[in-house]
Amino acid sequence: MGMERMANQKPGKDNFTRNLVIAVVVGVVLLMLVPTLISKKTNTSAKVPSSVSASHGYGIVFNGDVQGVPVVDIYEDFQCPICQQFEKLNGDYIESLVTNKKATVVYHTLSFIGPDSIRAANAGACAADQGKFLNFHKAAYANQPQENTGVWSNDALVVLGAAAGISSNKFDTCVRGGQYQDWVSNVAAAGAKANVNATPTVFVNGKEIDRKTEYFSADKFKAAVERG
Amino acid sequence: MKKYQGWIALAARLILGGVLFAAGLLKYQHLDKSQMAVRAYELLPISLANFMGVVLPFVEIAVGILLILGAAIRISSLVGGILMLMFITGISQAWARGLSIDCGCFGGGGQVAPGTASYLPEILRDAALALLAIYLFRYPQSKFALDRQSADGDGKNG
Repeated sequence: MGMERMANQKPGKDNFTRNLVIAVVVGVVLLMLVPTLISKKTNTSAKVPSSVSASHGYGIVFNGDVQGVPVVDIYEDFQCPICQQFEKLNGDYIESLVTNKKATVVYHTLSFIGPDSIRAANAGACAADQGKFLNFHKAAYANQPQENTGVWSNDALVVLGAAAGISSNKFDTCVRGGQYQDWVSNVAAAGAKANVNATPTVFVNGKEIDRKTEYFSADKFKAAVERG
Repeated sequence: MKKYQGWIALAARLILGGVLFAAGLLKYQHLDKSQMAVRAYELLPISLANFMGVVLPFVEIAVGILLILGAAIRISSLVGGILMLMFITGISQAWARGLSIDCGCFGGGGQVAPGTASYLPEILRDAALALLAIYLFRYPQSKFALDRQSADGDGKNG
């Protein structure tokens, strides 16, 4: 690079290399920043699974048409170990809310942990199209790998779907083709707008339940939902 | 002192620049998390926090590279120093208000279980880096730098 030589240059001499380096560094960073900023915007033309509602932050909605019941928004990442604990403790109760139509339940599959999360969220949406989101959800947490190990390849997620009782070529193509990837980033953008700063995060009727007490006690969680 | 000044500045550039570059790169790999980290400080309106969460890693990477190469040392160290003061302010106020957050300094971030947050080491580290930035701003003359070196040692470049 001849930096030593440059260091001995007399003042006033041409600064071409230095200025070029500055221009290239700043230019390249700006060229990367602008598309990244745009990609964080909600993509309104993204393909979304059938049970998804933009008015519910692009979440996967159950019992959206049932009136007079609490709305439970669950923000989670399929790869997050604490979400797995939460699922172990409260998963059956939440499923009963769905089957007994006792609450509108909205699942927001965030993906901040890494690419495996994006693939898993996409597969979750594909499962929703088959009417099997809850089965897939359960199977995913029961088989959750270590974070970002790449274990959740699309092929592995197809197998996971089969284990969850999904046998459909449409599901396989949807998972392998990353059909709902744009939707996954919309879910992330909506979560960011809703100020969700941890997973799991649960809102009941738009208000977060108490992080200190109500997440990891089955009784208190139930009480928080019923309180509405 | 003057004899070693160029070497001290070189070390300061590599440490400050290296830390900024690494921190920026780690955040860049998980931008959702980076946005989450900024929001969790509860200082900025949410939309601005989300914007900062994306922009900050890029700024860190650019300033880091420029410092390592020794180009535009004064402006780069000024920006680096301002970043450190911002981080110190953010972490201190989170500590004072009793928030439980991960500083998100090197990726990560967001809320953590109450009682597990550690703030003092982060503040001390950022304060040390801020001192390096101040030194470089005052004495930008440095070994192995792309910036032009003036004979009187009073760097006016950058």
